[in-house]
Amino acid sequence: MPTVPSHVSLSLVVGQDRRAASDGDVARALSAGEAWAAVETWRRFAPMVLTLARRTLGSQSEAEDIGQDVFCRVYRKVRTLREPDSFRNFVYTCALRVLQTELHRKKMRSWLSFEQPEVLDGHSGEALDMESRDLLRKFYGLLDRLSARDRIVFILRRVESMSIEEIAATTKTSESTVKRSLARASQRMSRWMADEPRLTDGEGWGR
Amino acid sequence: MSTTIREPKDSLALTEATDLCRDILGPPATADLDRGLDTFLANISPKRTQPRRFVRWSLAGMAVAVCTLVVLQVFSVYRKRGSVGQAEALTYRVDGGSVLEGGYLRESGHAGMSLVFNEGSRLVLAPGTRSRLRIVDRDNAHVAIERGRGSFQVAHKSNRRWLVDVGPFLVTVTGTVFTVSWDPVSEEFDLRLREGSVVVSGPVSAGEIALRAGQRLVANLAKVQTVITEEPPDQATSDSPSAPAAPTVAEPGQARPAPGPSSGTAASTLAKIAHDHQWSRTLARGQWDRILQDATRRGLEVTLSEASSEDLFALANAARYRHRPDLARSALLAERRRFPESPRSLEAIYLLGRVEEARDTGIAQAIAWYDEYLTRAPTGPLVGEALGRKMTLTDKLEGPARARSLAEEYLRRFPKGNYAGSARELLAL
Repeated sequence: MPTVPSHVSLSLVVGQDRRAASDGDVARALSAGEAWAAVETWRRFAPMVLTLARRTLGSQSEAEDIGQDVFCRVYRKVRTLREPDSFRNFVYTCALRVLQTELHRKKMRSWLSFEQPEVLDGHSGEALDMESRDLLRKFYGLLDRLSARDRIVFILRRVESMSIEEIAATTKTSESTVKRSLARASQRMSRWMADEPRLTDGEGWGR
Repeated sequence: MSTTIREPKDSLALTEATDLCRDILGPPATADLDRGLDTFLANISPKRTQPRRFVRWSLAGMAVAVCTLVVLQVFSVYRKRGSVGQAEALTYRVDGGSVLEGGYLRESGHAGMSLVFNEGSRLVLAPGTRSRLRIVDRDNAHVAIERGRGSFQVAHKSNRRWLVDVGPFLVTVTGTVFTVSWDPVSEEFDLRLREGSVVVSGPVSAGEIALRAGQRLVANLAKVQTVITEEPPDQATSDSPSAPAAPTVAEPGQARPAPGPSSGTAASTLAKIAHDHQWSRTLARGQWDRILQDATRRGLEVTLSEASSEDLFALANAARYRHRPDLARSALLAERRRFPESPRSLEAIYLLGRVEEARDTGIAQAIAWYDEYLTRAPTGPLVGEALGRKMTLTDKLEGPARARSLAEEYLRRFPKGNYAGSARELLAL
């Protein structure tokens, strides 16, 4: 029997470059359970989430745990996202909620006199001099005295350099609430810092 | 009328701190991200999520079971307590002596005496020991030793509170086997703990000293010396109450079965000095004033000569943070002198350099300390810091020409170190 040659030409199929996909596409794919979307979600948002967690908690190991919590939560809740294009905000809001819960938990643990995790643990990449380490340890010791909300607002404004409007939108609170929170945190932190003498004269913090 | 909330301006120190935080705590490294991605993918894999639900419910079930057990246990303990309280009073039998008016114990011969309690506890007094029973009732047993030595074996199952006054010290006892003595002439308290645990409070302690099995506490009030040592089990058991009226029990002032702190074993005792206040924890909590107050209350000289290595280090840091360089220097020098082999000793040498730097005339001395650190710990964790500080100070003291060789060495060893920028600037001059 004579064979009929196919008219379909063979071609090499190259995997789609997912980096070009929009946030909305990634959210829709993640919601549909496509495997690449989980990798892309992590690749796209993990630096942002982990940096925020490190700066808020002052501990790398805690930040890594929080990062996992955040992305697992995103993975579970992505189907509830109404506007896939606002996926980035969704991830950020998830991160803030998880961080707030963790800060409440830390406070509870400190009331129960459990061991406090060491601040600045596991920062293998950076060679911190002792004074910088001292200052950061003290800085996070003072941050521990703030409420979870004030602490997060303070970090978002002063360290992450977000605007008041952005903070209000992300934390889903009014701008005046953010301003009040920031004013309270700044005044307390400035007062507490003023009460603590520096390690050395005229050298700043060894920087 | 609406009020506007102005954004507050931060203090300089706070601005510096937030800047530092932003600079240092930057984005994670690629390796950390890759590792995190693997964990994340493993966490969301279907194999993992189903068992997780099962594990969660199992844990909840276990928690309920544990709570039930705890409630039952608490209930049974209360019942047992009630029954003990109603059941039997503490009684005792005296061998080799008698109880006089006021509870004083007098031996009939010269071989010591012993008391055996109905709950199973036992007390053996060495010959010549002067002691008395202060309280013996259902809930308490309070014994006082005014001079001499007593060996105790307190029954574990007893719910009574056992207290022993030994000279000016008070020993609070749980189920325990121990020997304790007091010599009013030399003002020496000696407690050897064979089993269980005790808490000792007395005139040389700022707080209470908790001892565990195998430890010996010797406190000499005259010498202002308090030492805790670990003892091998055979030494600790040599005069236990299971061997009543043993002739090995010595009179105070006579030769003791185990050497005291002033003899050859003193060196080994340096590993653990009494009054370990755990100041490092206090320091981590930022309570620097508390450490300084503790040290002042106890006496700075005594603290510097008796505190443990960790406590000395914590004291030095508290003094640095509270801007008391003289005290910081004294504590660091004591650390270096008393614990020359400990890792803290090396850190102390580096910090001595930092303390000297704070003085206007201390640059040369600071360089000398950094030199000592670099010589003693050529691969230590603070080599980069020591070399960087030495380079900076040499530049300040002797000019850039002398500092360039240090800059070259620094860049060769720490091309991405904290002082790499300064080193490059020096070489570019």
